[in-house]
Amino acid sequence: MALSVPQGFHSRFMKDGAQAFKGVDEAVLRNIEACNELANQLKTAHGPAGMMKLIVNDIGKEFITADAATILKNLDIRHPAAKLLVMAADAVDSTTGDGVNTTILLTCALLDGAVELINMGLKPVEVVEGYLATYAKVEKDFPNFSIANADDLTNKESVKNYLRAAVLSKNLSHGNLIAGLIAEACIQVNRLPYFNVDNIRIVKVPGGSIRDSLVINGMVFSRVAETDKRSVTNAKVALFACAFDITQTETKGTVLMSNANELMEFSSNEEKEVERQVKDLSDNGINIVVAAGKFGDLYLHYLNKYGIMGVRLVSKFDLRRLCRMLGAPAQANICTPSLDHVGICDKVAQSELSGQPIITFSREGASGSIASIVLRGPTTSLLMDIERAVDDGINTFKALTRDNRLVGGAGAIELQIARYVTYLSTKNTTSQRFVQKLFSKAFEEIPKYIAANAGHDALAALSLIFTEQKASNKSVGINIFDANKPLDVMEENLFDSYLIKKRAIEVAVDAAVQILRVDQIIMAKPAGGPNPNAARQVDPEGNDDGMA
Amino acid sequence: MSAISCLNPKAQLARHAAALELNITGARGLAAVMKSNLGPKGTLKMLVTGGGELKLTKDGNVLVHEMQIRHPTASMIAKACTAQNDHTGDGTTSTVLLIGELLKNAENYVGEGVHPHILTEGFSIAHKKALEFLGSLKNKDEVDGELLLEVAKSSVGTKLHGGLADHIAEIVYNAVQTIRQGPQDRNPDLHMIELQQMLLDNAEDTKFIKGLVLDHGGRHPDMPKSLENAYILTCNVSLEFEKTEVNSGFFYKSAEEREKLLQAEREFITRRVHKIIELKKKLCDNLPEGEKKKGFVVINQKGIDPPSLDLFAKEGILALRRAKRRNMERLQLACGGEAVNSVDDLTEESLGYAGTVYEHVVGEDKFTFIEDCKDPKSVTILIKGPYRHIVAQVKDAVHDGIRAVANALRDQTVVPGAGAFEIAAYVYLQNVVDETKGRSKLGIKAYAEALLVIPKTLAQNAGLDTQETIVKLIEAQQEADKNGTPPVGLDLATGEPQDDLSVWDNYVVKRSSLNAMYDIAKNLLEVDEVMQAGMSNLKHQQG
Repeated sequence: MALSVPQGFHSRFMKDGAQAFKGVDEAVLRNIEACNELANQLKTAHGPAGMMKLIVNDIGKEFITADAATILKNLDIRHPAAKLLVMAADAVDSTTGDGVNTTILLTCALLDGAVELINMGLKPVEVVEGYLATYAKVEKDFPNFSIANADDLTNKESVKNYLRAAVLSKNLSHGNLIAGLIAEACIQVNRLPYFNVDNIRIVKVPGGSIRDSLVINGMVFSRVAETDKRSVTNAKVALFACAFDITQTETKGTVLMSNANELMEFSSNEEKEVERQVKDLSDNGINIVVAAGKFGDLYLHYLNKYGIMGVRLVSKFDLRRLCRMLGAPAQANICTPSLDHVGICDKVAQSELSGQPIITFSREGASGSIASIVLRGPTTSLLMDIERAVDDGINTFKALTRDNRLVGGAGAIELQIARYVTYLSTKNTTSQRFVQKLFSKAFEEIPKYIAANAGHDALAALSLIFTEQKASNKSVGINIFDANKPLDVMEENLFDSYLIKKRAIEVAVDAAVQILRVDQIIMAKPAGGPNPNAARQVDPEGNDDGMA
Repeated sequence: MSAISCLNPKAQLARHAAALELNITGARGLAAVMKSNLGPKGTLKMLVTGGGELKLTKDGNVLVHEMQIRHPTASMIAKACTAQNDHTGDGTTSTVLLIGELLKNAENYVGEGVHPHILTEGFSIAHKKALEFLGSLKNKDEVDGELLLEVAKSSVGTKLHGGLADHIAEIVYNAVQTIRQGPQDRNPDLHMIELQQMLLDNAEDTKFIKGLVLDHGGRHPDMPKSLENAYILTCNVSLEFEKTEVNSGFFYKSAEEREKLLQAEREFITRRVHKIIELKKKLCDNLPEGEKKKGFVVINQKGIDPPSLDLFAKEGILALRRAKRRNMERLQLACGGEAVNSVDDLTEESLGYAGTVYEHVVGEDKFTFIEDCKDPKSVTILIKGPYRHIVAQVKDAVHDGIRAVANALRDQTVVPGAGAFEIAAYVYLQNVVDETKGRSKLGIKAYAEALLVIPKTLAQNAGLDTQETIVKLIEAQQEADKNGTPPVGLDLATGEPQDDLSVWDNYVVKRSSLNAMYDIAKNLLEVDEVMQAGMSNLKHQQG
């Protein structure tokens, strides 16, 4: 108890194992230090020339990626301030699907600036106010930084140009090819009232090369057909949200038989009943049955007899998507669907890709409600990385459908903002000018990382760009291929989405401010028990107990 | 060797001066932790729970709860403050500070040889006078409208930062005003304000909703996602097959019979579903020309099975199953109508009404908004934020804000805030000191000076010069007393005294703060021995 040697007051107040940090030195600066550690891990991954990371996560899964969101998700960060940063990144990722690395690096650059300001004698609160005031100005003038509009979202070439930068930053070597695939898929499914990311499916089939990847207007499942029939053209599909089998009664039912005759009769009765059902389907022109559950043997027999193809889907989400694609609802029990509840599809076929059977539901023509991108590649980890690049591209397209303004890529926008804030600071006569100066410096960091990762002298590249920007008033960015020649973003078609950039900056400022506002950390003793992460099994389909 | 050690060798104890010191350091230490929290300019604390969850807070009550205090005196103070918070919803930080400061002042006197009893005598005189003074400060106008909004702003402003605080305060004010049963209702039922959380957008997007937000959605992909002019049927009827209590079964002889059994099972439920559909058809279909389209929503406390959902979906009815019981009560208050337990006698009268009903999907979570109700008596504050800890922070602030507005309504009076009451009471008590004869002067003095801790800390957290500010404030207050103008408070933006800051505190909060300070400080001062009887697990205590 409290009768022995007095300790620091926190330890006297709190239960054993608790820790407390207080004040600028202990809390604020230490938090910033931790965040910088994290940024150091990520900064080499930034930009098109960024390096990959190999991560083995807590369940032994390997990732080779330069995607910040994936790196953070699997790093299992413990430090509370760094955790705030991860949450900020999550917030950006979940709303815009891209811009994670920018957010983290910008936050840390801002925090670095704050350290300098605190060492100069400013209080964290003053830094916070300065940052917020400066950001408010930048936010007000942000529309002026937009340099082009993505007007044509229906032409593949122009969409490809809009998406290039987003994809290139994740995958330099195949960026153009992937951007083309994304553009094709996005244009196909983009329709009013809004663009739904869920309408583009990504199917990874290891084998072949990336050049073999293709976009299919329809859906692809890696399954085998249940029946003998393997392909159907002009398909009429009956969809069932239940198993295609004898329906169980809710109450217990018992077959009561008094003699052998009745036994014989019962099975033939049952057969007749099943045949009637299948025949009914066949009579109505149905040639494919898709069900969310098991196909009963008896039913299979009759499906084969009447030449109907049967496909079993395991995920009810896949079933719902298929319903959307075919324009027909799934039936809750086995029946013959009415005419308007029959799905129409041009071609359904089972084929083989590198030894893996796939079933393709495809539609002819250029528009459709669901598009699938079939990614091919030599290794699974490469495919996964490309999938993430595709995800980012699709999300960029989604952002463009909401707000079609574009800003300069390749670090151009950051440098424009930096220049603008520097200009503000020269006009400011209060001590806030120092805050603004460092705010602007933080924005310069991002293009610096891009240049440094490409092996250039970052400062030289930056000064080159500033001169060029001043002289031509164009939007210029880092040219990773030639250190001596800045890159004109309009010419090279390297754009970022206005919406994603803005959100990234907004969240970065918000996160930096939050970390600066904390002046005390109190940590309880870590609770015992098994590691909650160890046994976690992620169910990709969620565990919603809906329809199917 | 004290007597207790003979009786129980494991017991620990502290006596006289040591006991007093133990208590005083406890109180002061806790105050030191909480100090930087006070006021709109206070900083945030980051709390990390045992499970690694983060919490950022400025709210004294949250802090006291999460800190896992084990110092006996500190935890006693913390408990008293929590009790006050439960009762009034606010004032935790200031109470902790007041107790710490009063004991600190007392320590000086005790160090100079004054007996604690003499001090507590003075405390009781000062306390009585301070309460009288607090009563005299009550403002006489009716508390309503604008003033309530200012109360909300003052309360929320101490928990959240600038712009966000004003936005939340307005929401809080609107929510309380809406659920009042009429202009005379001074005791609104605060449970009728539901706080719903959503991890989306920013905290600035927090919304006041005249209706309800349910945290689940329609269970069928073909159900309408949004409806206008909707009838709301709240019911507690099972729309899924339920097994009998006793073990039962059926016998059948042929596959047809089996099919029939299947159908009969369905029929039982289908009949109920059709009753509801019939009502919908009567009310919503075949409307006369020119009348607006109407929607129909079924919210069921029990389950609805897939085939029934299918039937509803075909009719364009939005059906929600397994609604929470508390929401069923709220639904009736928000939309009108009454919950039905059987579908046999459905009439239009039992239905509620909502202007718009729509579904909102965030990631994997579905939310159903039931909005634009006619004169709702139950409302929702939808708290948004990008992270869990932001949402929690806003939720705490909203909670306290609602309590503050309700307190002001109940008291029908407010007390000037921003340190104004404390400064005024200090000046007033100084006069009392002059009038009082004898040793109790000392106690009154200590009490009066302890009050100053509030404006002092406010100034300190805002980065102002503490001593200078206090002197300025006291001078301005003495001036105000002469001229009969209202008490002055501290303007944190400029550091100057101001008498029209529109910052108000709750009367009941101030009163219980004073009470807690007096009671606890008095008790702690009068303790002269602290013992801990031998505990069996002393080895864990390294102390």
